[in-house]
Amino acid sequence: MTRQRRATVTSPQTRLAMARRRTGVRAELPHLAPADLERARRIHRAQLRRAVVAVALLALLIIGLPVVLAAFPGLDEVRVAGVPVSWLAVAVLPYPALVLLAGWQLRRAERVERHRELP
Amino acid sequence: MIAAAIVLVVLVTLLIGARGVAAIRSTSDFLVASRRISPTLNAAAVSGEYLSAASFLGVAGLVLKDGIGALWYGVGFTAGYIAMLALVAAPMRRTGALTVPDFAEARLGSAGLRKLSAVVVLVIATLYLVPQFKAAGLVLTVVTGTPYWVGVVVAGAAVSITLALGGMRAATYVQAFQFGLKLLLFIIPAIWLVSHVGADTRRDALAPVEFTRFDRAAPVEFRLDVELTITEPTPVSISGGPAEVLRPGRYEAVAGSTWTFPAGAAVPKVDGALPPGGDRWSRPLLDPNDSGYPLLSTLSLLMATVLGAMGLPHIIVRFHTSSDGRGARRTAAITVALLSVFYLFPGVYGALGAVLLPELYLAGGTDTVVVALPARVDSGPLGTLFTALLSAGAFAAFLATSLGLLLAMSGAVSHDLLPGATVRRLRLTTLGAAVFVVAVALPAAHLDVGALVTSAFAVAASTFCPLLVLGIWWARLTARGAVVGMVVGLVASAGVIGASFFLATPPGLAATLLGQPALWSVPLAFLTMVLVSLRGRPPAWATAAMLRLHLDETERSRQRR
Repeated sequence: MTRQRRATVTSPQTRLAMARRRTGVRAELPHLAPADLERARRIHRAQLRRAVVAVALLALLIIGLPVVLAAFPGLDEVRVAGVPVSWLAVAVLPYPALVLLAGWQLRRAERVERHRELP
Repeated sequence: MIAAAIVLVVLVTLLIGARGVAAIRSTSDFLVASRRISPTLNAAAVSGEYLSAASFLGVAGLVLKDGIGALWYGVGFTAGYIAMLALVAAPMRRTGALTVPDFAEARLGSAGLRKLSAVVVLVIATLYLVPQFKAAGLVLTVVTGTPYWVGVVVAGAAVSITLALGGMRAATYVQAFQFGLKLLLFIIPAIWLVSHVGADTRRDALAPVEFTRFDRAAPVEFRLDVELTITEPTPVSISGGPAEVLRPGRYEAVAGSTWTFPAGAAVPKVDGALPPGGDRWSRPLLDPNDSGYPLLSTLSLLMATVLGAMGLPHIIVRFHTSSDGRGARRTAAITVALLSVFYLFPGVYGALGAVLLPELYLAGGTDTVVVALPARVDSGPLGTLFTALLSAGAFAAFLATSLGLLLAMSGAVSHDLLPGATVRRLRLTTLGAAVFVVAVALPAAHLDVGALVTSAFAVAASTFCPLLVLGIWWARLTARGAVVGMVVGLVASAGVIGASFFLATPPGLAATLLGQPALWSVPLAFLTMVLVSLRGRPPAWATAAMLRLHLDETERSRQRR
């Protein structure tokens, strides 16, 4: 309790701590125990690799599709059930692909945490 | 009837808001609803908050105005949550910070950066809120004939009362409810329209021809002052007067006037606007400034929307309502699925609008295509019913988005810019923010809903996106690097967009790069942050400050307790 009343210190970290105190979250300077630090390093590397792959696939999809549509204007003339293929490629096709990508990335990111499946 | 539907939406919003009042105990409760919300409910709330007037009305309107390529907006708006899921959601939640300014100070320990972030929050929120209020006024003008300012003031009052009564706990229920409401009110009329228009119209919608001649006597109600070029002698009846033959030449149609063209008359030309249905209109790439670089424009739009979503202050706050990092990640993934369902439908309205209401492009009224379609298809009570449903949905969209944005604004002012937030001050600030936005929205009737929202995304992508991504994944980021990078990103996005409002737009490539700066402003901000950081040294605790964001909560608490 006494520690909580010492309110005159003005460093940013302390003011952050003050804000935390009001919100009921414990104030702490960023530090990790050595064991935590090592594990965090490995998780960080594993998650970063997965995130980069997911973002690269996302970029491939949303850069690739416009490039393909720009390169092959003939797709405007090809029709499936009366709808131009190039319209389907922007109105419908991206969404199932995005949902699949989201589910896949979610599973991979959670697996790193659940099984400690680390490099 | 239409007014009754809108009043009902406002009342239900207020009721659900009032339910949460008892739960407020402290500022933290007000801001993040005590973090007791399941991923699915939270994802519905994120989607409800995210699906603004720009999505409900704007995307279909932009399809009518700019062509099929405008459907990329929906793709970008959805794909942003994959970037969020992969890069930001879980670690950001684990900081325990309430907002982006909180994150900035927690990760980099700089009070100056916190204040700068709060200013950026205000810029983004204003750019995003003004079009919401503009759309509210527009819809009321179209469906009930009330003046523009009435809609703006009614929307402002409803939103700020809800927030001041319930804060975000209320807003979470409100948003989740509003998502369901908007989804139904958008999809059911779309299905009705498609089944009701008849096989001929359906076929025409899929194989559009350029709008060069009126196929029926069409009244064109001008929403803005528009300069028309008439190409052949045309008998036109202006605002109910007798038809007079206008000779070829340029004419000025004033806002509020109605010009009725006879069937078979040639459609006048409008500078810089693309007649619906033509070859360029049908191309699935976006070229709003007619620059001749459609691929570049499309990619720039996607860059802004995909990377901007993670930096939207009202969305980031909502991820803190998850119970932990894993919950935040799941929320992002479920949000992708929910948004994917919604964005299948704006194209339906846009394609039907191009066939049934192409004259809206003349009148500067493309943003109204969604609410105008039912009456065009069925002049009986059924058409009125669906107009009412869509108007209610559109109004729900303004309310939902505005709730979160006003909260983010008042949070930035009373939490970050002024020290020592109290519940009372947060409520007062919310009210003040609402009054400010209403005042800015009143003279903004001529601005494009979709264009303004996109510039909000461009600013978010050029400032908060690099701050969050580098802050979460790169231990060497320094406070100085973050500050310089954010200032550069802010000037390159908000500054350039703001200047292009006042200066004459240059032609060609420059129009694309200045009107849609994300393609270069985002890499520039990233590069600046990295280079300035590399010249300095991060404090000794920086590595721990970054790494702890990646330890999942269960593992860490077992170590500690």
